[in-house]
Amino acid sequence: MKDQVELVSGNRAVARGALDAGCRMYFGYPITPQTEIAEYMSMVLPEMNGVFLQAESELAAINMVYGAAGAGRRVMTTSSSPGISLMMEGLSYLSTAELPCVIVNVMRGGPGLGNISPAQGDYFQAVKGGGHGDYRTPVLAPWSVQESYDLTRTAFDLADRWRNPVFILLDGLLGTMMEPLRAREPIPERAAPSWATTGMFAREPGDRAPRSIYTLHMPEGALTEVNRRLQAKYQEITREEVRYDEHFTEDAEVVVVAYGSVARSALQAVRIARQQGRKAGLFRPVTLWPFPEEALGSLSEKVEKILVAEMSSGQMLEDVRLAAAPSCKIDFLGAMGGELIYPGTILARLLEE
Amino acid sequence: MTAHNFETSATNTWCPGCGNFPLLNAVKTVLKELSEGESPTRPENLVMVAGIGCHGKIADYLNINSFYSIHGRVLPVATGIKLANPDLEVIGFAGDGDAYGEGLEHLIFAAKRNVDITVIVHNNRVYSLTTGQFSPTSPPGFPGRSTPAGSPEVPLNPLELLLASGATFLARGFSSQPEQMKEIIREAINHRGFALVDILQVCVTFYNLHKYYAERVYTVEDHDPGDYFQALQKIREWDYGASSGGEEQEKIPLGILYKKEAPTFGQRLSAGGGGSKSATPADREALIEKILANNI
Ligand SMILES: Cc1ncc(C[n+]2csc(CCOP(=O)(O)OP(=O)(O)O)c2C)c(N)n1
Ligand code: SF4
Ligand SMILES: [Mg+2]
Repeated sequence: MKDQVELVSGNRAVARGALDAGCRMYFGYPITPQTEIAEYMSMVLPEMNGVFLQAESELAAINMVYGAAGAGRRVMTTSSSPGISLMMEGLSYLSTAELPCVIVNVMRGGPGLGNISPAQGDYFQAVKGGGHGDYRTPVLAPWSVQESYDLTRTAFDLADRWRNPVFILLDGLLGTMMEPLRAREPIPERAAPSWATTGMFAREPGDRAPRSIYTLHMPEGALTEVNRRLQAKYQEITREEVRYDEHFTEDAEVVVVAYGSVARSALQAVRIARQQGRKAGLFRPVTLWPFPEEALGSLSEKVEKILVAEMSSGQMLEDVRLAAAPSCKIDFLGAMGGELIYPGTILARLLEE
Repeated sequence: MTAHNFETSATNTWCPGCGNFPLLNAVKTVLKELSEGESPTRPENLVMVAGIGCHGKIADYLNINSFYSIHGRVLPVATGIKLANPDLEVIGFAGDGDAYGEGLEHLIFAAKRNVDITVIVHNNRVYSLTTGQFSPTSPPGFPGRSTPAGSPEVPLNPLELLLASGATFLARGFSSQPEQMKEIIREAINHRGFALVDILQVCVTFYNLHKYYAERVYTVEDHDPGDYFQALQKIREWDYGASSGGEEQEKIPLGILYKKEAPTFGQRLSAGGGGSKSATPADREALIEKILANNI
């Protein structure tokens, strides 16, 4: 059965990836363009002895995730931009309480209610923290249906490995378009980790104390200590979890940097540019945080120009500027308000001298 | 086997005379009894979820698994825990600002879902930790620090709201009556379904209502908590001072005001569809295909 290829949407692939990673708890609130994930979970989870709950709000959903993660379960919530904003409070607490969970944002146009078209305007929110305080969450950015599935599975493992919330950033295009998906062997849900708020064997002297999950650190120096520990963890994540993907970069003179669905347009543009004699390449960050700084930095030393293409006014652009060598020229191609970036537009910029 | 020690070594920073002390003691006694009784609620299965406010410090003073949550979010966190691990006995401790203000939507929905948890509201009718602003249950004219001319709002009657929301256990206690608090809290924990206990908790520093309550409270008798309309009547007997004026005649009923058996959220989940735990991945695959084929 597993070798079967199915035609599914990115939303469906995320849901499927979560189930196959052993996630049996889902809390969410309807919002376009990702409601399909919730609907899928509502159909399948009850049959798998899991929990699907449509919460009263995204605020409630993220806090239910907080509770379930604390009790030691693999748990996911999904939403789209306005709903993700409501989850920022909970995310800050989950991050410092160091609880694993997966949060999927199928981005739509903003700010405000915006529209329901694909966009990448929530890059800062996901990559730079978003909620209050000094915290980071790994952010994975798939560019295909298959990768939406694969990275969702990866996200649960990263969340557990680092005891940290993990973000998956999709855009409305990836969420709703259909492509072939080859699912892998599912795994059962892992057992509750040793830190979960359950059990304490307190019946015999010397047994361990009850578990506590808290984020308030009032004694002098205590919060500094917590922050140091978190920052050390973030540094380790930065060293170990960077992921990216390169196409035609070996001899490239100009390189497009793009993620998500824009990277698909970019690859198409790069191919055509090559046919027309322009040595173009694509550099695609797969983790937006940690950002593939070093890899892009060394690539930037070899190319004349980098073209950053994203469906925002230039958010990832800032990270590219930080990573690139001063000698490298950086161009920007943006789209806002739910407009797509087509291969032709990128191609025209690649062919410019 | 040794008895579990519910004490902690944390220094208690509540003001001397604060109604949170007798409330904490009542909870401790009940948990002790329950963990030693016939069908013990094992201490290792207890999880408390505390809100943020003076009341929230209770997480430091009770030696059980604990979750010091977010201002207003006791209910969704408690719901998540209960659904994640139904073996746990989940008890929420919230403030009036916490549960009836910042997190009111969650309270209504926890009641509506009949999630099997207990919530104890330390209702001192003031935002204490932030030093004395009016809360959702402060009476009109309340002279708080953010209402120098007196509160312009009328209070919410949380029990009336929750009765309408589908709560299956509603009770009111008073922090100066420890025996009754214990009884109510014990019953609330034993109740299968969503139980809310509104404790009139005296805040000696920002809103000392000890005398006011002591002169007005009485314990309900000849009251049938299974009767919705009797419960509604009892609950409306005192409106938290909304119609202040004839204060001399005011009487404040205490005790279990409403109690009803109904399927819990967890029971409804496992009744609907659940249970067909596929034995192998292939079974599961077939099942998913079947579900999807039927639904889409
Ligand atoms: C989101 C958020 N807003 C505001 C606060 C500040 N705050 C802390 S406690 C509190 C009010 C507490 O009142 P109540 O819930 O009645 O608890 P009490 O102190 O009276 O026990 C507020 C507003 C906070 N911690 N978080
Ligand atoms: S301020 Fe009020 S509620 Fe807070 S500890 Fe003091 S008396 Fe108790
Ligand atoms: Mg209060």
